[in-house]
Amino acid sequence: MPGSPRHHPLQGGWLRRAREFSGFALPGLFLYGVLVLVPIVWTIVLGFTDRTRFEPQTGWAGLGQFSRLFQDDQFWLVLKNTFVVTLIVVIVPNVLGLGIALLLNRESLLYRLLRSVFFTPVILSGIVVSVIWQSLLRPDGVLNAILVDLGVDSGPRWLSDPDLALYSISGILCWQMLGFCVVVYIAGLNSVPKELHEAALMDGAGPLRRFRSVTWPMIAASVTINTVMLLISGFKVYEHILVLTNGGPGRNATASIAFDVIEKGVRGDRIGAAAAEATIMLAIIVAITGVVLRLLQRREVHV
Amino acid sequence: MLTFETPNLPASLWDSAIARVSAKVPGIKIKKLVTPNVDRTTYAKQLASSGQLPDIMMAVNPQGFAEGGQLAEFTPEELKDYAYPESGAINGKIYQLPTNAQPQSLLYYNKDDFAKAGIGKVPTTWAEFLDACAKLKTAGITPIAVGGGGQDTFASMYAWAGVLATDVFLQDPDFNKEIKSGARNFTDPAFVKATEKIAQLSKLGYLDKEGTSRSYADHEKAFRAGSAAMYPMGSWFATSVDNDKPPFGVGVFAWPSDDGKAVVPNLTGGGISVSAKAENLDLAKKFALEWTKDKETADAFTKADGTFNTVAGYKPPADMGPLFQETLAVYDKAVKDGTVTPAFSIEQGDNGLPAEFTVPIQQIAVELLDGTSDAATVAKKLNDEYAALQ
Repeated sequence: MPGSPRHHPLQGGWLRRAREFSGFALPGLFLYGVLVLVPIVWTIVLGFTDRTRFEPQTGWAGLGQFSRLFQDDQFWLVLKNTFVVTLIVVIVPNVLGLGIALLLNRESLLYRLLRSVFFTPVILSGIVVSVIWQSLLRPDGVLNAILVDLGVDSGPRWLSDPDLALYSISGILCWQMLGFCVVVYIAGLNSVPKELHEAALMDGAGPLRRFRSVTWPMIAASVTINTVMLLISGFKVYEHILVLTNGGPGRNATASIAFDVIEKGVRGDRIGAAAAEATIMLAIIVAITGVVLRLLQRREVHV
Repeated sequence: MLTFETPNLPASLWDSAIARVSAKVPGIKIKKLVTPNVDRTTYAKQLASSGQLPDIMMAVNPQGFAEGGQLAEFTPEELKDYAYPESGAINGKIYQLPTNAQPQSLLYYNKDDFAKAGIGKVPTTWAEFLDACAKLKTAGITPIAVGGGGQDTFASMYAWAGVLATDVFLQDPDFNKEIKSGARNFTDPAFVKATEKIAQLSKLGYLDKEGTSRSYADHEKAFRAGSAAMYPMGSWFATSVDNDKPPFGVGVFAWPSDDGKAVVPNLTGGGISVSAKAENLDLAKKFALEWTKDKETADAFTKADGTFNTVAGYKPPADMGPLFQETLAVYDKAVKDGTVTPAFSIEQGDNGLPAEFTVPIQQIAVELLDGTSDAATVAKKLNDEYAALQ
């Protein structure tokens, strides 16, 4: 019947597309909802309660948990630690990763092997990486033995010096994430059209000028990916701290927000306080990632 | 059944004990579960969160679980064979069998280092102890090993627990209770004075500060390799030495005090707890009680971990090694002299501090050992941390 909504070409197409979309997307959306969204919402709700693991009665605490956190010096310390680690982890592997990618962006068996070598730490678990580094950084470990051989009186206390331990952990994270950045940058470098380099070369541009005017703008998407991934990795650092220092040396000298959340919630049984801190962590990550994404995506170039 | 494995307590020891005790409890079927690391309490909490609290748990701190109604209470009748049936009580009730006495800590020492430094006899007073440390340092030997690195922050406590035993808990065994009631706090002069002793050891360079980055296993290895002359440690170290002798002689003495009393900080407890929701509660409790009363199992654990079984009338195997015998003699003398005290941060139950306060205390202990915080700062930090938990 002409004019019937059932035969309206646009609406029929919309319905069909919606049905198709639902068929493919609903299972995934359901799993995402159950495994990600529900726990996030539940955590946010718990942050407004005084829930503890063993107390049967849970009461509404309003903003009480948040206000206690903001008045707690230890919270500001773990927040500062988290920002320091994140800053180092965002900058160092990004810069070194780009440099190494430029060196490895050649075709031969050796370079392909080297790419695998750099990527290996990425596939190792944080626990394994931490155990390996723990043995290297022991007072009588390999690193200090080398330093002593080079004439240093006694090597640094990499993990037991409160002024150094946070940087040692950051260094290990950088080492582990470096391979990821290298691979992403190599993929980015491979996507730069050769014609652009050739044109720049014909215009008399030197290597630096070609990098600045051709390569750098064209790998902007890789910079975005690496920066966001490193930001998130820095903010959620947990297992390295657990294995290497357990939050020490001293009171929370290396504790991150993620570590403190687990400490409060699992060891300390204060579920409400842990949930409030996790909510703050979520808000910070969302805000910073959102701003960084927006800023970096502005300079992305698509050909 | 939730178990844990350490170098002293390997899988084979647990398996044979489970098989032996199961045979004595008809109808029971035990499925062994092993904690991923020595922190079995945290693992038990994770299991409880997902409704999987094991029916039977070995050496899990009952605090929190008990108040939350998750553990079964042991009756006075069931505890009648224990020498200290009220140890570890929570609100006056027992939720963990008080199976073992474990001095934590004693001072194990390298006899060769003492001889090299010209120390004729072990120190009994604090002044003699400082004198011994000075002689060791002069001889180029680091006097005291300390630990607490990696995940094993607990190992930072053993020196501090020693001086707090001599200077605080010997005079006032209820110190922890008074902290909880608000009658005292950590800036109490006796607490600060005892803490100052560790700060002084740190300042004088008597502590092997590198140890604060060593895991527990590496901490023991380092002492065995001669990193320091004295090793403040729990009594389990005795069997470790008896079973695997280091290349030097090892002796043991109690913590020296100002007036020469030999003080032993100690934890009696560490046994089995049973879930209140166990599928067959009676059978699970029967297994728990049989485990501690079974002489062969008690002997196996005594030999492996150097625990002093507190079931009345229990005698350790006659072939126990010399350091175990020496350690037991130090403990027995302290029991006789009335100088056994609660161990700070290790004591559990009504006379212990809240379980969630343990890690902050251990981390602050590292600052004390390291010299990054003095006694007054440590005391203030403890007060602040404790207040934050309330």
